[in-house]
Formats: sequence, structure tokens, C-alpha cells
Amino acid sequence: MIDLELELRDLAAHLDVPMHPPLAGAVLVRITRARRRRRVLTLAVATGLAALAVALAVPGSRASLLRFFHIRGAAVRLVDKLPPLAGHRSLGIPIPLDRAPFRLLLPSGRRPARLYAGDGGYWLRYPGLLLFEFESGNGATLIKKAAVGTHVEYVRVGGEAGIWIGARHAVFLPGGPPVAAGHVLIWQHGVLTLRLEVAVGLDQALAIARSLR
Amino acid sequence: MQSPDEETLVERACRGDPDAFEELVVSYQSLAFRTAFVIAGDAADAEEAAQDAFVKAHRALGRFRSGEPFRPWLLTIVANEARNRRRSRGRRAALALRAADPGAPGEDPETAALASERRERLLTAVQRLRDDDRDVLACRYFLDLSEEETAATLGITRGTVKSRTHRALGRLQEELE
Repeated sequence: MIDLELELRDLAAHLDVPMHPPLAGAVLVRITRARRRRRVLTLAVATGLAALAVALAVPGSRASLLRFFHIRGAAVRLVDKLPPLAGHRSLGIPIPLDRAPFRLLLPSGRRPARLYAGDGGYWLRYPGLLLFEFESGNGATLIKKAAVGTHVEYVRVGGEAGIWIGARHAVFLPGGPPVAAGHVLIWQHGVLTLRLEVAVGLDQALAIARSLR
Repeated sequence: MQSPDEETLVERACRGDPDAFEELVVSYQSLAFRTAFVIAGDAADAEEAAQDAFVKAHRALGRFRSGEPFRPWLLTIVANEARNRRRSRGRRAALALRAADPGAPGEDPETAALASERRERLLTAVQRLRDDDRDVLACRYFLDLSEEETAATLGITRGTVKSRTHRALGRLQEELE
């Protein structure tokens, strides 16, 4: 072993190790640049925070900042006055369950009483419950408007983002006038966005949403 | 153990003195590059690793404990950078012997040729070892680091340096037989 150790030390003296390049200049340039970037970033963050503080301090701006809720596939805007609403509209074409091009999620795995294809997705009708599922990856967005003062809040459903609207509001579907909707939970689930309309409170709506499979 | 001068230099660098840090880079650039080179096996990777290590060391100076030796602390960062590059490359570049290495003064050509051949075999055997065996031998014998410095550089305990060195020498011996 001793011989081998001596041989290794001798080998070290014969290794082809290139001359080290001068590093100090390049290192100092990078350190100076990084310090400058950090300073600019700190300044930008401070400016942003100051602008946000000013916006929140001004009643008009604060209202507009807090009037918009958005997740992938859905946006809710709080407006001073709801537009005139149609009470009822067709949900689309009735189809059998096995005709949907993607696997629909069903509350507690129960089959719907009726399934309709329409509005870029699928409407699942159950007694007292209406579920709409659509693929939102392609940029499709469900637009909703609710009157100022309506209970709207961000929620989490199975770790994904959602919005709860706890009162009557307007939903804008393509090719028709805005229609009235009641309590609605909208949330993301992978590539899908789901909308659950049911006359219950948030906790029960969340329980139904979590039962989807 | 670091000299009082170096300790002062490190303290000044920790307080944000760029001249002090530059002096540290100049003092350690050769060792940092050599360490990165024997681990990564490639000059361009070694230069990048050493440069990145100094930049990261500068950023981490606030966490450097006053009075601790600077050299193993820096080598830990250098070795990490070099190992990351070796990993991302997916294979290890091979170390080589200097071309047309002159023999020892007074050595006859035949003895010099035999010694050179023996070194070639030894280096080939070293290259065939696993990365962790090769790294510990490189630190101990190619870089002449102490057991303590090797432990800090490779992020292992001194006991592991001892056992790994013993194991690596055994495997090297087997490779040579």
C-alpha cells in the first residue's frame, strides 16, 4: 500500500493539468453584476409594493383590484349592476354518457340523469344539481359577473384553485344572452375546469366537489 | 490552520471589502482550478466550476464562521460545483499524463520509458475506479490534501476518508494485478 501511495504522489507530478486561467477578473465582474442586479430587483420590488400600497389606499383603485377573480378557465367580475338576465336557456344536445370525448368526473361516481353537449363542454344534470365540465387548456374561459357585495372568494379544491360565488349572478355563455345562476363553485381539475351549481353552502359544495371521480 | 494575514483578509472580505476578496481569489485560484480539474477532468468545466465556486463563496460569506479555516470551506464549494458538472456531462472526462514527460535527471531512457508505462497503467486503473473512490484518492494524493481537508472537500467524515482511502487503494491494487 505504501508503494502504491508513493506511486500515486509521483503520478500527481506527471498529470497533465492545464495552467489555471486568471479567475479574479471574471469573478469580480460577476459579483459586481450580481450586486447591481440585486439592487435593481430590490428597487423594483420596493417600487411595486409602494404602487400597490397607493392603489389600495385609493378607494376607487382598491375596489377595482378587489373586483376581479380569475382561475384557469373562469373569470368573475364584480359589477355595480347586473345586466338583464334570461331565466332559462337550453343546455345543448342530449347525448349518452359514453359519447363524451374525455372521461367525465361524476359526483360520488353517480351517473347523471341527463347529459348535454353544449357551450364547449358537457352539462351533467342531477336532481337539484348542475355540473358543467370543459377542457380549459385551450384558453376557453367562462365569464361571470356578480353584483358588488356578492360573496365571492377564492377556495382550494383538492389542492387546486377555485372560486365560490355565494349568490345569484350572471353567467355569459357563447351565443346567447347572459343567464341567471345561483350558488356556484368553479375549480380547476387537471386540464378540466368544472362548474358546480347547487343550492347549498360552500362547505357542502366543497364536499360534493371532492367526491367527484 | 490559516495564517493571521489570511484570517484578516477573510474578515475584511466578510465585511464586504472587494479588494480582500480579490486577494483571496488570487491566492486560491490555482488550487480551486486544480481541484475542479481532477474531479471534472475537463479544463473548461474546471474553469467554470472554479469561477462559479468563487461567486457562490462570495455570496455565502455572511454564513462563514469567523476563525474557521477558509481553504476547506472554499474547496467544499469547488468540489460540489465540479461534481455537478461531471454529473450533468453524464460521463467522466479522462485525466492524462503530460506529453513527452522528461524523466528524472540522470535517469536512463529505458528506465524512464518503464516508469512512464507504469504511470500510464496506474492512471488507467485510477480512471476505472468508482467516482467516490477516485475522488478520495485525487484529494489525498493528487491534491495532497490532509484527511481533514479531504473530509471537508468531499462532505464526508474523517473516518469515512480513512476507510474509503483504504478501500480505494485495495481496489486500485486489484485493478493493477
